[in-house]
Amino acid sequence: MKRLTAVLAASTALAAPALADDDRIVVGFATAESGFMQGYDKPAQDAAMIRIQEINEAGGLLGKQIEVVNADTKTDRAEGAKAGLSVIDAGADMVVVSCDYDFGAPAALAAESAGLVSFFLCAESIKAGIQGVGPNSFSASVLAAVQGATMAQWAYEKKGARSFYRLEDTWTEYNKGICDGFDWMMPKLAEATLVGEDSFLNEDASIAAQITRIKALPEEPDAIMLCTMMPGGVSAIKQLRAAGITSMILNGSGMDGSYWMSAVPDLSNFFVPVQGSVFGDDPNPDVNAFNVKYKEVTGTDPATQYTYPGYVMIDVWAKAVERAGTTEASAVVAELEKMVDEPTLFGPRTFTPELHHQNKARYLIVETTGGKPAVVDEWTISEPIPVADLMK
Amino acid sequence: MAQRSILARTIATPLILSALLLAVALAAWGLGSRPFNQTVIDLFLQVIFVVGLSIFVGNSGVISFGHIAFACLGGYVAAWTTIRPVMKAAAMPGLPDWLMGMEIPFWAAAIAGALWAALWAGLFGAILMRLSGIAASIATFAMLAMVNAIYSNWTSVTAATSSVVGIPIVRTIWPYLIAAVIAVFIAWAYAISRHGLALRAARDEPTAAAASGVNIPRARFIAFVLSGAVMGMGGTLYAHSIGLVTPDTFYLGLTFTTLSMLVVGGMGSLSGAVLGVLILSALIQALRWLEAGVQIGTSTFALPGGVQEIGLGVVMILILMFRPAGIMGNSELSLPRLRGGQKNPGRTGPND
Repeated sequence: MKRLTAVLAASTALAAPALADDDRIVVGFATAESGFMQGYDKPAQDAAMIRIQEINEAGGLLGKQIEVVNADTKTDRAEGAKAGLSVIDAGADMVVVSCDYDFGAPAALAAESAGLVSFFLCAESIKAGIQGVGPNSFSASVLAAVQGATMAQWAYEKKGARSFYRLEDTWTEYNKGICDGFDWMMPKLAEATLVGEDSFLNEDASIAAQITRIKALPEEPDAIMLCTMMPGGVSAIKQLRAAGITSMILNGSGMDGSYWMSAVPDLSNFFVPVQGSVFGDDPNPDVNAFNVKYKEVTGTDPATQYTYPGYVMIDVWAKAVERAGTTEASAVVAELEKMVDEPTLFGPRTFTPELHHQNKARYLIVETTGGKPAVVDEWTISEPIPVADLMK
Repeated sequence: MAQRSILARTIATPLILSALLLAVALAAWGLGSRPFNQTVIDLFLQVIFVVGLSIFVGNSGVISFGHIAFACLGGYVAAWTTIRPVMKAAAMPGLPDWLMGMEIPFWAAAIAGALWAALWAGLFGAILMRLSGIAASIATFAMLAMVNAIYSNWTSVTAATSSVVGIPIVRTIWPYLIAAVIAVFIAWAYAISRHGLALRAARDEPTAAAASGVNIPRARFIAFVLSGAVMGMGGTLYAHSIGLVTPDTFYLGLTFTTLSMLVVGGMGSLSGAVLGVLILSALIQALRWLEAGVQIGTSTFALPGGVQEIGLGVVMILILMFRPAGIMGNSELSLPRLRGGQKNPGRTGPND
């Protein structure tokens, strides 16, 4: 018993509470430094670090330098909760969590219950925010549904597509989100018809059955809305083209990047929406300058557009902190919610008390011709997707 | 025959194990570090899972790959009964009205989770417990796959593969400690009961046990239901520890973590189950700290990322090389005494 008391006394002495130090501003990254989520988190986090460095070089935020603390979620939900608590204990004023809702939520919930602002690096589900975490949670990316809606409307207006075929990979929420946006947009396109729909699973080795049904149509559809992502998406595209289907293929941003295109040689008539171009041809020269800077810092070009939301995240948060004059959560959230079409390097951003996510956004359209992707246009959907439709 | 009762002879084991767990809890409470607190909560949950698993695996000798399915059943009970009705209606619209309106505290949910898992353990067990050896193991694996497939696809009731959020988060350590201690005492009480004894007899000498009147399927069935209940309780508490559930949390990853902790600790021993968790968790934690980097003098020493997983594997191989029956083998922690002979001999010993 004496020993127990001694242990207790010793451990209480060690328990100095981690008090927030007023002289510093701390951003806590509870993100994946190992496991498969690292592939998504790392580029966005590097981009966030670039913005933090820019702010620090320009004199800091509220006159203070931004410091960074990290904790690894190991791409594991239980570890995610611990990582969130670690950065909070280390004095984080804002907690950055993993790209994906499922893997980021435990850390975001920890931040929420500690009364801190949390940002998902690039989650595209409506749950990444008020709906799935709470009133202090935000996402730095754009809803998946906006991507589907953008592609449908753009193809209809700019490419004259009238007959659409919907091919959904039911593997993830993200895929379903793209097709939900497409479904929401279709009735608004007066002459558009849905000539057929089908589904497959990302892991399916063959989609021959689905292709047979497309081939059985009286005529080839103008456009195929393909709601899928890596890695199965590549195989699906390859099979569609190998079967001689030449329709436009519309996708979500998940198929951005050229790293996989050697698997489908000479791919053409293939379209993705992106927040910024990684191919060096962004209409905004500042984006191209950012790409150069990113290469200087990390040694490689950004692989996909999912690098960019990390930069946007620090940008909008720092602006809100500057306007609020404090890092205190309720004041920062109030400032963020006042943002309407706030300009950022990667398009305007809007947050409202109902939605801490983008239900309307400017997208660049990247067309791949002969295996070479290039920006061909930009498009913003005519009206935001209502929150009620997103919650379905 | 002045032998003391089996209760008096064995009570030291659960008491020592509970004291160990209490010491860990007090250390976490004293340190006051939130991530460490969460680590210890995780450790207690793993104790519940591994002890739950050992009630069946340890006593019957049948390796079960399916027990995490009961944790899944328990986890979703937390989602069904503790989330605010408004949020529940949005995520899981297919729930019956009486369940939709229900909002109970976490401890009641843990009891409900245990009962729900026990119910299904009973239904599955009635069929599966007639099998033996590898056939039984594979059948339990099939059960895991089945439960996972149902929970991953029944959109209106389990929200399919989406995370179900809104489960109240319990971050104090004491409920988890109490649950882990309860699990230890259940496992101990079962092991010294006549059913536990009969099942171990059937494990070591099935023919002789059957000839002595042990109904082997029935003995296994009791252990299966009891261990299912403990797993269900653990699953519910797991959901409350991070605030959300998904079906893939309760699948292969957790199955193999818990099984390897049990094997490393010693399959035939309750102390082995608890120590397996404590030792492996301590090792994982130490390697993570080293990965994150420690300050030695002026230089920081850090292992490259991923060493934790490799180091854990190497240590497990070493332990099993030198102690094939696990750290504890078939013996239990007990107070030292002057006259030997209380310890259980090796696995082949029939006088267990």
